Amino acid sequence: MTRMSRPVAALFSLSVAAMALAGCSEGSSTASGESGACDASDVKLVGQVRNESNPYEASWLDGGDAFAQSVGLKQERLTYDGDSTKQQEQIRQLLAGDTDCLVMNVLPNGDADTTPIVKGADQAGAYLVTQWNKPADLDPADYDRWVSHITYNGVESGQQIGDALAEAIGGEGGIIALQGVLDTAAAKDRFAGLEASLAKNPGVTLLDDQTANFSRAEALDVTKTLLTKHGDKVKGIWAANDDMALGALEALKQAGRSDVAVVGIDAVPDALTAIQDGSMTATVSSDGPWQGGIGLAIGFCAATGELDVKDLPADNRAFFAEQFLITDANVGDFATPKTDESDFECDNVFDRVAGPLS
Amino acid sequence: MSLRDAGPPIALVVIFAVFAALSPQFRSVANVQNIMDAAAVLAVVTCGITFVLMMGSIDLSAAGVMGASALAVALLVENNRNGNDLGLLGIALAVLLAAGLGALSGLALVLLKVPSFMTTLGVSAIGLGVATLMFSGVQPNISDEMLEGWATGRFLGFSGLAWIALGCVLVGWLIQRYTRLGRYAYAIGGAEEVLALSGVKVAPFKVAVFTLAGAFYGLGGVMVTSQLGAGLVQAGKGYDFAAITAAVVGGTLLTGGRGGVLHSAVGVLLITVLTNGLVQIGVSPYWQGGVQGLIVVAAVAAAVIPQRRRNQVVK
Repeated sequence: MTRMSRPVAALFSLSVAAMALAGCSEGSSTASGESGACDASDVKLVGQVRNESNPYEASWLDGGDAFAQSVGLKQERLTYDGDSTKQQEQIRQLLAGDTDCLVMNVLPNGDADTTPIVKGADQAGAYLVTQWNKPADLDPADYDRWVSHITYNGVESGQQIGDALAEAIGGEGGIIALQGVLDTAAAKDRFAGLEASLAKNPGVTLLDDQTANFSRAEALDVTKTLLTKHGDKVKGIWAANDDMALGALEALKQAGRSDVAVVGIDAVPDALTAIQDGSMTATVSSDGPWQGGIGLAIGFCAATGELDVKDLPADNRAFFAEQFLITDANVGDFATPKTDESDFECDNVFDRVAGPLS
Repeated sequence: MSLRDAGPPIALVVIFAVFAALSPQFRSVANVQNIMDAAAVLAVVTCGITFVLMMGSIDLSAAGVMGASALAVALLVENNRNGNDLGLLGIALAVLLAAGLGALSGLALVLLKVPSFMTTLGVSAIGLGVATLMFSGVQPNISDEMLEGWATGRFLGFSGLAWIALGCVLVGWLIQRYTRLGRYAYAIGGAEEVLALSGVKVAPFKVAVFTLAGAFYGLGGVMVTSQLGAGLVQAGKGYDFAAITAAVVGGTLLTGGRGGVLHSAVGVLLITVLTNGLVQIGVSPYWQGGVQGLIVVAAVAAAVIPQRRRNQVVK
């Protein structure tokens, strides 16, 4: 090898890369074909969540499969392990392929991850539905192919379980709160909901609030510490998700306390079992299987022309979806996650709109 | 312990005394039990990582290895997913699986010459992958009474987990002090070339150290499962860096050749007391992360002052 070889090789590979990039952008700018002109059998369905090691997200993908099956298709299941870079890479690879009839139902890792996904999908002409995370100033109405953004009102769910907790302890006594990752919108909104509930229930006092970062193991340690700090004054535990609620239940068990009410959010299977056997009071469900199916259903209806994206009202483009408070009164209805095919018919896909994002 | 090593224990005593003065609940017997329970898993994991750090290598595989062993044990002892009821044998198999993953890190390091930083990160991903496969969408909850008893039963005031951790620290210390494996781990971290030149084949010892570390992580995963009553893929989340932090706070050097299991145990107690104490005295959760970081940096700084002339700690 001569001395020149390395720089020459570098230059060569750079120019190849540049050409490849140029090719890509040319390809994608011509990709957006006529809206809603796809045959049902040509549609390609993709569901993307963080990981399948989390029951909620696993049930989301199962719901996607159920919808795909109902229209005679298969869903491609993608997971990115909560790694933003990996998520973007997967999306780029998807969009580099045939995108004319591509329908994606995506859970962006964080608010900031939504923008590049939306821009990429729009440029490539793929139908996109996003859920949970979106920067406030990004609006689906500004895009042709970003059909909907679905999310849930965290203030409302935080308040619902707060009220259920207050009722369970007879409207009087001390509670402790386990917060989620403090810099997430979910943690902030849910805690704001608890504060609203406390304002409504003056007999309930918040003894302490700590973060357990949405983690079962951390919640176990924090709860044990708080139980020694406040002792018998603790009548209830408000947790910003079920994982932490389950950690708190374990701590109560180890401390030999059975007189403390516990509430969480997410309706994971273990929490539902705990509600059934009476050790937990309430949780809130966003209905994971429905979320996995509905995102694909909305995109599918847009791709096949049954929904005209341009004519959709604003509160179908970005909305809070209905969520359900689960107590021992109705836990049986949620015990086995399942989807209802009629929810996914194009006339019904917006049945669960609970209000516009504000 | 020489005077040079006295920094972390002094810091521990000072921090404990300050919290005890500020909060009557902190100095209650129940809370000391809490601290020991909370420190147990971290102590076992840190035991393992200490041997790797002593060699001057790094190990980022704890999270994945713990996840794999947590799922394995949850599926092998009595649980709600299948008919297995292997009891102690199930625990042993889970620890064995973890040791195997540790050996994989070591083998990749010495055979493929991939830096330990990369091999262990890869093995962590493998462990999480194995765990996710075993998880297959449904959380296994354990109903094995013996394993549940580790977390709930108490002997002389401390939980089974705390006693297991104590046993691990003791075993770790004996290995470090009295076996060839332990002595060579030190020597590899201090001066690997010298050891190689004097005719010692270093590679098998490196693999053995990673295997031993894997076994400790595996036991840690089993302990988390006992605490939570369920096999979680995320059982080891955060333990990789928490253990490295604890080891370093206790006075084990990242460059190898100094420190040891007892140092690391002090580091674990320091971190756990700090986490517990900040909650007990009522520091706002919004401040805790920052305050904890500050105290850790201050404690490490105080601990290494006697060694500052030895260039390696300030690099």
